[in-house]
Amino acid sequence: MMLRLFLSLILAVSFFGSFSAKAETELWGDFSGVTLRVKLIGGGQYEGLYNEVIPWWEENTGGKIEIVTQKNHFELDKEIKKDIASGNLDFCVASNHTSFASQYGNIYTDLNNIMPASVLADYTPLILEHSTVDGRLVQMPRHSDVSNLYYQKSLYEDADNKANFKAKYGYDLTPPETWDQVKDQAIFFSNPPDFYGTQYVGKEEAIAGRFYELVIANGGALFDEDYRPIFNSPAGVEALQWFIDLYNAKAVPDGVLNYLWDDTGLGFASGTIAMNLDWAGWAGFFNDPENSKVAGDIGLVRAPMGSGGLRTGWSGSHSFSMTESCPDKEAAASFLWALTSNKAQMIEARGGLSPTRPAIWDAIIAEKKAEGDEFMLMVFETFKMSLAEDAFTPPLIPEWIEFTNVLYPELQAAILGDKSPEDALAIASKKATEIMEDAGYF
Amino acid sequence: MRKFLNGPWVLLMPTLIILTCVVLLPLLLSLWTSFTPFKLTKPDTLYRFVGFRNYERLIGDIDFWIAFGRTVLFLAIALNLELVFGLGIALLINKITYGQRTLRTLMMFPMMFSPILVGFQWKYIFNDNIGLMNNFLREFGVIQPIPWLVDGILANVSIMAAEIWSSTSVFAILLLAGLLGIPKDPIEAAKVDGCNSWQVFKNITLPFLMPFVFIAMTIRSLDVARAYDIVQMMTGGGPAKRTELLWTLISRTGYVDAKMGMANAMSYISIFLSIAFTFFFFYKLVEARQRLSYE
Repeated sequence: MMLRLFLSLILAVSFFGSFSAKAETELWGDFSGVTLRVKLIGGGQYEGLYNEVIPWWEENTGGKIEIVTQKNHFELDKEIKKDIASGNLDFCVASNHTSFASQYGNIYTDLNNIMPASVLADYTPLILEHSTVDGRLVQMPRHSDVSNLYYQKSLYEDADNKANFKAKYGYDLTPPETWDQVKDQAIFFSNPPDFYGTQYVGKEEAIAGRFYELVIANGGALFDEDYRPIFNSPAGVEALQWFIDLYNAKAVPDGVLNYLWDDTGLGFASGTIAMNLDWAGWAGFFNDPENSKVAGDIGLVRAPMGSGGLRTGWSGSHSFSMTESCPDKEAAASFLWALTSNKAQMIEARGGLSPTRPAIWDAIIAEKKAEGDEFMLMVFETFKMSLAEDAFTPPLIPEWIEFTNVLYPELQAAILGDKSPEDALAIASKKATEIMEDAGYF
Repeated sequence: MRKFLNGPWVLLMPTLIILTCVVLLPLLLSLWTSFTPFKLTKPDTLYRFVGFRNYERLIGDIDFWIAFGRTVLFLAIALNLELVFGLGIALLINKITYGQRTLRTLMMFPMMFSPILVGFQWKYIFNDNIGLMNNFLREFGVIQPIPWLVDGILANVSIMAAEIWSSTSVFAILLLAGLLGIPKDPIEAAKVDGCNSWQVFKNITLPFLMPFVFIAMTIRSLDVARAYDIVQMMTGGGPAKRTELLWTLISRTGYVDAKMGMANAMSYISIFLSIAFTFFFFYKLVEARQRLSYE
């Protein structure tokens, strides 16, 4: 579908403070009288963007944005599923995520037919590929996520720690390169209940995702080419055993199986955790003395490697989609562009989020260099490399969330000692097979 | 036809129409979906009839029956403890002659909190690392943190504590209303005849209160599903399904996995649980009333 003629395509140069990014294709138009109903992901980390971009877009186009819903992604996911069931898709733009997008069928429009190629050329091609479902580009990527390992620097600089660790484990105490080293060091640093070597998210999609990336790093896979589960394998058992060993050694807090992202983030900021695998968006929070006891004492390395020689790199992108039923697709396209434009991505990058436009990587790194902000410079350089070389998405299939819901209780059961890792993975594999069979994969 | 239009049916019609639209049709629709593989994200599946397949799968699903059994146990223990605590509070407040209204208002405070907020509060209280409970115990020398929300028994006890805190006042209010309605004459006569306090309570107060007890039990047995929010906030049914109740299982199946057909089949099986509880309490209510009228 072609854009209406009055939609202007302007090749412009955008300026961010004193630094310029590469030329950007802008997508403005006159949308006076148009009101776009939107459903957005809410929360402190995400809403700053809306406060800046919505007035900017309204001012430049004459259109209006009506936020119908603003809630966390899991609640938004439920709401959209209910909307699909009731056929009540009376909104134009919604927040989305690469891990969720494939569940929603054809409710979102193919942006390949809406967005000019010159606009799409401004985004990282691999991320656009991950935003594609069944050949249809259903999302404009907002920011990408991958996890790297934060650690308390002073622990690694302490002479006693170095000597004692070397004596116990036979190698130097340096930030870990492998997940086996993470385990050694976590056990070494732990002094429960006051201090723990590390932690992990322990439930729902979160632990399933962490398990998934470790299986890949160990040289395994979740599914074969026909989507038959194959994670009940030596690589899978090894991955699960890593979680079990840390739990049994009390190198992670006892309540870790109820932890989600906020718990691990706040835990590391509390200064009671030595190492923490976490997303880029936490970096600014961790280094803010008002929020964090480890501010000024944080190191960051790329996520370590598993036994297969690969680094963990479970990745995904937050995004925005346009409904097929939207009556004002031109205006919605313009708004999607604005939400993921250079200006928008620079706002989020300053908060520590990883952009999906190569130009913004260059701009934010240049800005941090000029400011002499060594910490954020390290963060952006590490995450840039990690996203380029280590990142991989979960299987982009509609059954992903349902699959994680049968996997995670079994992982928890093995960690708690209710089942052996082999038994737990066998049961999860059987249930996953039923899901894939029901979905018609084989 | 004319007779019909002039008869009581005309007067009943608005009620029947409203009940049909608000209660009967949604019930029939949900019953129909339980015989389909209906997925929220695939509306077309609503029209694919698969007979009893969902029910057949549930019959062989051990996880479902464990959650079912745990829910029965949860209901039985929580309702009985709420009754005991509610009765105790009502009896104590009934004795007070000054400030009773203020206390009655204060007693209702937990009911005013939304269950989600109650879940958050108690999750924080029982957090193994920064929670109030472990920090409190630490003052008394319990150095090793207790994993309240992880251990199979403790996690269920923790959730029950939150639920009981939140809802005991419902019992207390209803039983207090019953206590205030008890005639004084039989009590005074019993005291004149030499009965001690326990004998008065057992033989006069309690029989008078029993209808109120069963009304409260009936209301709470239907209302206790509100605990879903508390469980969801505190443990989400985990870890490793150790606190999985029917409500968390049905919600996850219906809204997260989007398998609404299966979730509705679970709901229809669990409705028997509600009917059984309600039937039992109504039976006991009638029995208590009859006994009261004989006496």
